[in-house]
Amino acid sequence: MNGALAVKVNLLGYVDQGDFADDPYRIDHDGRPYVPVGDGGVVLGLRLGDSVFAHLGDHAAPGVCLVHPVDDAGHALVALSCLGNPVIVRTGDAAGSRGVVLGKRGGGKRVIVVFSQDVLARLRPGDQVAVESQGQGASSMLADVTQLNISSFALSLLPVAVRDGQLDVGVRGVVASRVVGNGIGRPMAMWDVDLQCPAPSRTLPELRLGDLVAITDLDGRFNAGYRKDWLSIGVVVHASSPQPGHGPGVTILLSGHMTSFSVRSEGEAHQGLSEERLLALVEDKE
Amino acid sequence: MKVTSNVERLLTQVLAGEVWPPLGDRHGYRVDPDGRAFLLPGMGGVTLDIHCGDPATGYAGDHIEPGLSVRHRETAANYALQYLTCIGNRVVVSSGPAKGAPGFVIGQHAYVLVDMDGDEMRNVTTGDQVTVFARGQGLAFDDHPQIVVKNLSPTLLAGMPGGTLHDGRLEVHVSAIVAPEAIGAGAGMASEYANTDLMGAYDVASPGLSLGLESLRIGDVVALTDQDHRYGRGYRAGWTSIGLISTGSCLLFGHGPGPSTIMSGPSDAFTIVRDDGANLRSFDLNTTERQP
Repeated sequence: MNGALAVKVNLLGYVDQGDFADDPYRIDHDGRPYVPVGDGGVVLGLRLGDSVFAHLGDHAAPGVCLVHPVDDAGHALVALSCLGNPVIVRTGDAAGSRGVVLGKRGGGKRVIVVFSQDVLARLRPGDQVAVESQGQGASSMLADVTQLNISSFALSLLPVAVRDGQLDVGVRGVVASRVVGNGIGRPMAMWDVDLQCPAPSRTLPELRLGDLVAITDLDGRFNAGYRKDWLSIGVVVHASSPQPGHGPGVTILLSGHMTSFSVRSEGEAHQGLSEERLLALVEDKE
Repeated sequence: MKVTSNVERLLTQVLAGEVWPPLGDRHGYRVDPDGRAFLLPGMGGVTLDIHCGDPATGYAGDHIEPGLSVRHRETAANYALQYLTCIGNRVVVSSGPAKGAPGFVIGQHAYVLVDMDGDEMRNVTTGDQVTVFARGQGLAFDDHPQIVVKNLSPTLLAGMPGGTLHDGRLEVHVSAIVAPEAIGAGAGMASEYANTDLMGAYDVASPGLSLGLESLRIGDVVALTDQDHRYGRGYRAGWTSIGLISTGSCLLFGHGPGPSTIMSGPSDAFTIVRDDGANLRSFDLNTTERQP
């Protein structure tokens, strides 16, 4: 939709509690049972910049997950909320507090929002949160690259620039599409993709929440799927998981043919999204 | 030597299911690899004229489910049906004009998929009741403790070529070896539920998509490289999972013909033999007996 104006829509989400089935256990990749902690809901003590392997959790996100009790409305909430969208708490002890959307999680069910730790401590499952959504359909920085899940105002937070007809992007590391697990085959406007990386590796150093990651041979414009020589770039939005086929989650932001990109693998020097910079988007409104 | 197992300890559970209708939504369209909209038949109902041994691709369809697509109306009872049913299990149609006609399970795809020999499938439709004689979960091989078995009926095991080799490995015949790049939707789900879609077998000519899987057939036994499906489906270098293709053509991107998993273990626990005959059609399941 190059040239057209991106539309803003105010959405309502509810602070999530996290769900369990009758049985408290999930099973890890070696068949051991574990109790999943931090899989949705309000999670304290996990912040942008933390290693995805540092805590004992399952898909724990740095902040809060928003949901909606009506499935279709939840899908819209997830599909339309984009990185950088401002949110405001409308009810409960934290009413009036502001936060910023980081990304989204699988199933078209959860939006991840970053708040300061003191706001998080005052939030309670069921609190209403308004999201000023904007970003889907916005013009891309480069015509051949599809941009999604990010507000136009948040692009300046990322190490992304157009240089010599390519998108120059700094990332923590580059991974191959074969490690993409849950989320493959799903619409990237409504899911993240989990990287099946149970521990730091040679190709992927200590991955941190808020990092940018490049995935080779992955076309993430619509559904995510294998396409040779395509590249998808996303932001790490939740921490690792012991479940087979799961792992740290990446919300896809940019996708196109590899020749449209100049990717710099910055390793330890990479500066991902920080809480400070993300929350600065709403600070002047406090 | 034929593999020995704990088969004599396995129980049979009789499960009820119902042929489930194809489902749509009011928007109709889905999106292909190039972003084009399509509306095609595939999941649910009774899909005729595609059987074990037939090509898995080449149809104007999406998520083709050969034969009967079966589930249970109640959520928990449905999970019992989906989790306990194994490939090769005997099925009998229990209502309607085809009552008494036999069939056999070819896989799971969030539905139990049932193939039938002969023409009686034409008399089966949505709402017809079927009975599944579920047997196989818990199956374990005596001499291959590293290999975890799932969704494999003793009937299918008995019909498969291969077995325990002198060096202690399990010989398994497969008609294709699948690279981990092909693993699509279904990754991260329980190994007893639905299946693993394989990408790279689309019926569209678009650059960069093919992974050489266009000649897969329904019923093919395949080896999935770098996959550990013992406790859910995930990537793990140096591990191999064995599956059996039960679904066909997909246009939805990131999806494709899919195997249900029947075994997983370290790659060096297996000797994989390429064999075009490694298809459920070639195995004698003895399922043609009509229920009295």
